[in-house]
Amino acid sequence: MSLKRIIQIIATIIQNSYIPVFFSGGIYQGILKKGCVPILNCWGCPLAWYSCPMGALQHFIGLKLIPFYILGFFGTIGMVIGRMSCGWICPFGFFQDLLYKIKSVKMKLPKWCSYIKYVILIGVAGIAVYLTGEQWFCKLCPNGTLIAGIPLILADKTGDLRALVGWHFYMKIAILIFVILFSIIIKRFFCRTFCPIGAIYSIFNRFSLLKLKIDKEKCIECKSCQMACPMDVPIYRASNHIDCIRCLDCVKICPTKAIKYELR
Amino acid sequence: MNYGRAALISTFVVGGGQMYSGRFWTGICFAVIFYGSIVLMINIWTELNPAFWGLVAVWILVWLFNIYDAYKGMSYEKPQCEKTCPAGIAPWIYINLVATESKQYYPFVPFFDTLERICPAPCEEHCTRQGINSSVAIKYLKSGVKKTIPSFKQKTKKEKIAIVGAGPCGLTTAYYLAYKGYEAVIYEKEKIPGGVLATLIPEFRLPKSTIDKEIENILNIGIGLKCGIEIGKDLSMDELLKKYDAVFIGTGAWKPEKLGIPGEENALIGFNILEQIKKGKNFNLGRVGVIGGGNTAIDIARSLTRQGNEVKIYYRRSIEDMPAEQENRIETQEEGIEIIPLTLPKEIKKDRVTMVKTECPEGRNGPVKMIQASEFNVALDNVVMAVGQQPETDFLKGYVKLDKFSRIITKNGKTSHPKIFAGGDVVLGSATVAHAVGHGMKTAKRIDFYLKRIPLFLGRLFSKTYQPKVKLLPINDINRITIPHRDIEERIHDFEEVELKVSKEELKREATRCLSCPLRYRP
Ligand SMILES: Cc1cc2nc3c(=O)[nH]c(=O)nc-3n(C[C@H](O)[C@H](O)[C@H](O)COP(=O)(O)OP(=O)(O)OC[C@H]3O[C@@H](n4cnc5c(N)ncnc54)[C@H](O)[C@@H]3O)c2cc1C
Ligand code: SF4
Repeated sequence: MSLKRIIQIIATIIQNSYIPVFFSGGIYQGILKKGCVPILNCWGCPLAWYSCPMGALQHFIGLKLIPFYILGFFGTIGMVIGRMSCGWICPFGFFQDLLYKIKSVKMKLPKWCSYIKYVILIGVAGIAVYLTGEQWFCKLCPNGTLIAGIPLILADKTGDLRALVGWHFYMKIAILIFVILFSIIIKRFFCRTFCPIGAIYSIFNRFSLLKLKIDKEKCIECKSCQMACPMDVPIYRASNHIDCIRCLDCVKICPTKAIKYELR
Repeated sequence: MNYGRAALISTFVVGGGQMYSGRFWTGICFAVIFYGSIVLMINIWTELNPAFWGLVAVWILVWLFNIYDAYKGMSYEKPQCEKTCPAGIAPWIYINLVATESKQYYPFVPFFDTLERICPAPCEEHCTRQGINSSVAIKYLKSGVKKTIPSFKQKTKKEKIAIVGAGPCGLTTAYYLAYKGYEAVIYEKEKIPGGVLATLIPEFRLPKSTIDKEIENILNIGIGLKCGIEIGKDLSMDELLKKYDAVFIGTGAWKPEKLGIPGEENALIGFNILEQIKKGKNFNLGRVGVIGGGNTAIDIARSLTRQGNEVKIYYRRSIEDMPAEQENRIETQEEGIEIIPLTLPKEIKKDRVTMVKTECPEGRNGPVKMIQASEFNVALDNVVMAVGQQPETDFLKGYVKLDKFSRIITKNGKTSHPKIFAGGDVVLGSATVAHAVGHGMKTAKRIDFYLKRIPLFLGRLFSKTYQPKVKLLPINDINRITIPHRDIEERIHDFEEVELKVSKEELKREATRCLSCPLRYRP
């Protein structure tokens, strides 16, 4: 197993390991929930220790406040490592990586789909929230359905939550299955098409301190890097592509060692 | 493996077809996603509302994809060697079969042995192995592949297709059509089938026994061949179109181009010389200058040298820009034939030629400029012109659209006439055998879709992917095999094949150098 996989597993466990929940029920609401993880991980998961930055961002937007705390948080991380946290510690990204391992018919994502995530960020997680005061992205988020919605409802003993299940929850499940299906067919389908956190980080990919560099002299255009890339980025010709999650797999596999990362 | 049955099983049991065709975990995953979500919904069911229909739509999507996946089989990302192969061959698969001494056969590809000998091998240029030392000898390894010989096929469909030209492209198309159960009839102008391969390419590069065997294999599956009939002269296009359900044109490029310089009528025509040599004629031309830089020019020079003439090649661009196959060029230089680059003839006289120096700073596709006042005379007994060929498509005027080089304009093999299809050199101008084979393969599929009235995209969607059993081997640091050639002094006096074969062990050793990119480089 590669270092990346080990860190992905450890990160998933650290973020979602509130074991006492098995005795108490409900969700953890202590001091750690005031902090966020730098990736998409629903705060409503019974096992989660931390908040999801997207939830926090929408919370502030919904209150019509400028979310300085969250923007500064995203900005700092983005400026230093770009989209790296998506590649190394995001549990939902890890889940999609595993789904793509299923042997089936595979397809390529059309290029324009990469821009849908900006529409989601500005439209669903921004404007819609500002106008209605409701957290629209959370209402649709497949990660929330998977790790918070379904476990909470299944574990619900009192029946209060079950009574709330309605068209909204049906839709969430439909979205989740849709995302799972396409993650089997397409590399990291959700990250590339819909993820608003990825959309924010991707803007910083160009300016971040951590950068990938291609030695054009050495590159033989074998495209192994693109084949091995979990985001299907043609890294040999676009070293700081918006979808690059800095997982550094390409650095490891490039047969000519043409890809280097540098921190300046 | 029967993928139709797998798809049928998957229709009734989601994930069942995948398990049937040996992908156990894939089947489990599909079943969990589909049945798991249904169980979940039953568990938390409250009421029927509009959003439920969205959920049903997603279930149907999963179900359909599961059937499609069972039918099509798993896919892999094509590596560079397969992507760049004009004939659509998957080198990494046959190399893996050689390396693991597998009992599987690589599917029959028409002209596989020919490609082994004369393909320019674009696949080797982007081989990932270059990152470690140098590319795998992809082309040469074809000789180690276990081949199947297709047997006679019963005709199951009533449609008949006429194929004009028995070159590699025409024969490949006929093969795939016959394989699908159509009746294919080839019309060929010459007495023998094979096109350029049988009538022009010299023996020392492509022995007659090889090409005869390959054509025999193809014709054996039940293809009608009518030699000595020229379409446009002995039989008109109208008659063909009336008699057949579809017509395929693969007549190659046979009309020599001209430079348009004074005295050009004194020069000999390259194709005629090659044809005569192949028929056994001995030329005694003295000092010969061959004009051109393609395979034709080089083949003429090498053949004439073997008959004891003193040959020089004159080319208008630099040696690196020559369109000829690189190996062919290197062997030529080894044989002591001088290639004089950046030179153009200006006037041809009986015993001498006035040449002019040129420059072409932009390389192969850039313009060629003559340098002022750089003329010089060369004493030559004969000049042979081999400056390129154009297709001869006068007999098609009024049927299909042609471009200004009289090539047929096609889109995915289809011409502007609904019943006429085309491929190979008539479409591309002078190209390679690999292109001809690839065109044949694709156009045969296209004709099949046309006769069944299936739109192209649907046909593509449901074409099956080849499912080989391949094994990932560890990386080693073996160097590229040196392909043995016959001694230069010995080979320039006869027409025997220049390249020699090596033992099975050595081929296997070379094959283990392949990195099997699709297996190794996955996320
Ligand atoms: C000298 C030479 C060397 C070459 N060396 C190489 C090489 O090393 N590697 C490589 O990859 N490629 C090489 N090529 C190119 C390669 O041979 C061609 O690209 C390939 O043969 C094209 O196949 P085709 O089927 O399109 O046409 P062709 O092979 O030209 O076949 C066309 C056939 O149609 C017949 N025909 C033409 N008109 C009519 C008509 N009106 N009615 C009936 N029949 C007709 C012709 O007689 C011929 O048999 C070489 C070509 C030449 C000329
Ligand atoms: S893996 Fe390395 S050599 Fe191959 S295309 Fe990518 S950067 Fe170039």
